[in-house]
Amino acid sequence: MTALQPGERFPDLDLPDHTGRARTLSELAAGDPVVLVFSRGWWCPKEQRYLRELTGLQDEFEVAYTRIVVVSVDEPGVQSAFRAGLGARFTFLSDAQRQWLGRLGLEETTDTTHHPYLPTAFTLHPDLTIHAVYPGYWYWGRATMQELRRDMRTISRAVREGFDGP
Amino acid sequence: MSSAGFTWEGRSFQIDARCLEGDPVPGAWVHVCALPDEGARIQYDQPEVQQVRRDALAWWIPLLGDELVCLSTLALDEVYCGGAITVARSPRLFDQDPFARLFPGTVIRSDVFSVVAAPAGPVLERYAGAPWPGGRFG
Repeated sequence: MTALQPGERFPDLDLPDHTGRARTLSELAAGDPVVLVFSRGWWCPKEQRYLRELTGLQDEFEVAYTRIVVVSVDEPGVQSAFRAGLGARFTFLSDAQRQWLGRLGLEETTDTTHHPYLPTAFTLHPDLTIHAVYPGYWYWGRATMQELRRDMRTISRAVREGFDGP
Repeated sequence: MSSAGFTWEGRSFQIDARCLEGDPVPGAWVHVCALPDEGARIQYDQPEVQQVRRDALAWWIPLLGDELVCLSTLALDEVYCGGAITVARSPRLFDQDPFARLFPGTVIRSDVFSVVAAPAGPVLERYAGAPWPGGRFG
């Protein structure tokens, strides 16, 4: 389990995206609340199921000034194909070199074949302060779409001036 | 500043200011999907405009890859869109530009556009009327 807890600032990840371009997490947040999902990779049926669910939520995110970012150990080309298959319009970050995996304490030690991320989701304020953490090793530990909506509402209420109406 | 002026064929538009703020890419190719006619405009909230922006995030930007320099919709005011520009290091993929579904494309060359990080999806909504994908709150 990660040591990162609510109230702490999430590290500003610097990784290539699914097209291979260098990106930072703060750049992707761009002043908006973020759902940050660490995913095992394309091969895992649980990840396929969960990311299909998340893709279904993107229609709401795209009109609500909120972002979705997925991190996995897949290579950018693989992520790009997986993303296209899902129909996702959000950004994937590739940590194929495992440069952040250990630093974040998110190694899934039981998978000695892929050495992937331990499935974990964070909801973040625009400045990357952690609002909530969802451990997803067991599928039922993962954030439901309703929980993500609830967190985006709470964060947006805190950071958007006039949230209850101008 | 989130928008900057862009004039083409005597017509003035607003584009994402970041497209003009960095080091210019000499000889970049610009696909201008717009018409000189002042009446050639469409509301940002129309489904066609929403869908081409979804397509831009889903496959147009990944298709361009490192060839992409920047892109921006062409804002006329807080309501209307006059089209879009995609700036690239090569024109070879412009025949697939989804923004050409709004208005036909014209290819020009320019030395003024700079590299802008591709937008992070899935946000489609504009920030206070700024040309998409620019702008932010606060």
